[in-house]
Amino acid sequence: MTSKNEFQESLPKNNIQKRNGTLSIKLQNIKTKGGIIGYIIRNQKSASVDVKDPTKIIDYALLSSTLHDSVENMISSFELGKVNNIVIEGKDVKVLSLTINDNRISIFMNKNVNHNTIYKDLQS
Amino acid sequence: MSEEIYVNALKNTLTEIKNISPDVKYSFIFTEDGTIVARDEDVENMSLKKAVYSFQNLMEKADSIGGLNALSINAEKGKLYISRVNDMYLAITTSANADVAYLRSIVNVIVPTILKLLKTVAPTPLKFMPSQQFVVDILTGLFAGDSAQVDEERLMEWANLFDGKDINEIEIESFRGKKTVCNVKKISDSKLQGKGLILLSEKTCRALEIEKGDFVKVKPRAS
Repeated sequence: MTSKNEFQESLPKNNIQKRNGTLSIKLQNIKTKGGIIGYIIRNQKSASVDVKDPTKIIDYALLSSTLHDSVENMISSFELGKVNNIVIEGKDVKVLSLTINDNRISIFMNKNVNHNTIYKDLQS
Repeated sequence: MSEEIYVNALKNTLTEIKNISPDVKYSFIFTEDGTIVARDEDVENMSLKKAVYSFQNLMEKADSIGGLNALSINAEKGKLYISRVNDMYLAITTSANADVAYLRSIVNVIVPTILKLLKTVAPTPLKFMPSQQFVVDILTGLFAGDSAQVDEERLMEWANLFDGKDINEIEIESFRGKKTVCNVKKISDSKLQGKGLILLSEKTCRALEIEKGDFVKVKPRAS
């Protein structure tokens, strides 16, 4: 039988698991949309990569990690406060990056995809 | 056309962008190698360098997406937008409520137009000499003088970049942003050659507020 204290302690953990589960479902749905190349989700305990072209996994993971570190430096330089989202654009691909519940997420997509829609989908 | 006129033209462009859109807080233009070509007066040098250095780190990892053409950060207290314009990057920070899409449409017209115009006036592209890093050592001895000393090899490389002109002067900048200009010659002490050092007089070190072992950035100036 679970004591009251144990129950209270386990409640937030369950909530986090539930939220992370919802997030995973959202990411899976986003991945089925046209123009989405894949995503990387990382937190302190684990990382998950789902990218259509497996040869790109390491490069994308490296870019995603550097992006978060670089942006942290940039925002502290200009005192911009907490980051809502980041978008970088290359010649062929763009990346939407954001943090939800300690999960760092990077979504790779073709340049013609509306990243604002993806952002709203993740925030909903 | 001199580098100074070129820089002033870009600086005026930044001021005009700020006039058009009061949401713009800071703006600056830098090259791929990290040289800051033009900036508005309000922005602190150290902040700029830190941001540019971080952007360069990101650039190095961006081959997998076809290079880095633009970056936008949407944060609680403001926004940062960096966009590639020809062979340079334009960076703008704005208030949190700024309409970046509108701003983007303005800067993506104005800045390339100005750069095109400058290219028409001066068809030979201006070379912004990249600054190089050196470790400071102190010049000692009775006849040390005030001239800085660097490796002869480096002087020759710089001379090549300036189409064979002699390099007699350098601009030295500390990482705190202190700058000075002084004469330069090759390192006379063979034991100190080939170590990436710059030998500076105590007077120069005092002016730059640096000491032995510190890093400085150096830009050559042709005679």
